[in-house]
Amino acid sequence: MAGHEALREESPYGIQHKKLGIWLFILSDAVTFASILFAYGYVRVGSTDWTTPFAFSPTIVNGMVMTFVLLASSVTMLGALEAAKNENPSRCLAWLGVTVLLGTLFAVLHIREWLRMIGEGWRLFQNPVGGPALFGATFFSITGLHLGHVIAGIVAILVVAIKYHRRRTDESHVETVGLYWHFVDVVWMFVFPLVYLMNAK
Amino acid sequence: MAATQPRNALGMKSYLAIWVGLLCIVGIEVFLTYRHLSSDRLLLFLLIFAFIEAGIAVMFFMHLKYERPSLFWSLIPALLFVLFMMDHFWPDALRLEHLRVVHW
Repeated sequence: MAGHEALREESPYGIQHKKLGIWLFILSDAVTFASILFAYGYVRVGSTDWTTPFAFSPTIVNGMVMTFVLLASSVTMLGALEAAKNENPSRCLAWLGVTVLLGTLFAVLHIREWLRMIGEGWRLFQNPVGGPALFGATFFSITGLHLGHVIAGIVAILVVAIKYHRRRTDESHVETVGLYWHFVDVVWMFVFPLVYLMNAK
Repeated sequence: MAATQPRNALGMKSYLAIWVGLLCIVGIEVFLTYRHLSSDRLLLFLLIFAFIEAGIAVMFFMHLKYERPSLFWSLIPALLFVLFMMDHFWPDALRLEHLRVVHW
């Protein structure tokens, strides 16, 4: 029986496995984003002829609206967790629904920005206004990776919401997907100033 | 299954106040962008504000402040160490400029 003692040992962190798992995932994903942002930062500061094509309107304004929307979605996610904790499933689902809507709005604004830039001739290795072609590569890869995370987050929240509605998940799952969603928000706090503001006209 | 959210986490009013605070920091970032600072200086300021924002979000929105200190001390110093080492070794890539093979 002594061999089974370890199974009953409390986690040194006092949290469930899924929560520790998502924290470890967040940590590794943070390093992934950090590496591409570091690479971009060195290229950006090291290039004397770097392009700064983003006008205040529409690009920076659009970025500010996207920031507002994504930060708001973090608060609605906290509302969902608060409702789940207070055992109010209908309110929790409503907050999760608002979070999904805000996340979708963010993705739509992002894709609209991409389409506008592609329409102006921007490509991964093509700079229509002259200067380093690396601008397109860094912009589309960094924002694309973040957009991928947003879309994955929307899908994850939808899955948790559906299962929560069917009573197959509980507040701990809402919290876990919430941690991921807040992380996506935290990454944007670096992407917006470094990729958008640093390239403002 | 037991609830895992720390019981002493903040309420919605406090979260809204933090949200407004974060939006103010974004406003400061945009303001600084149009102060015509050098790119090095602007990058430094934007990074400082981004780290402040991220710290607030991680501690309050992600509730790290209300978890056991062991979780914080297991995750954050390791992450900062990796970021520091990345920053330390990235410039090493610039050595490639001087290591190019000369074709005769």
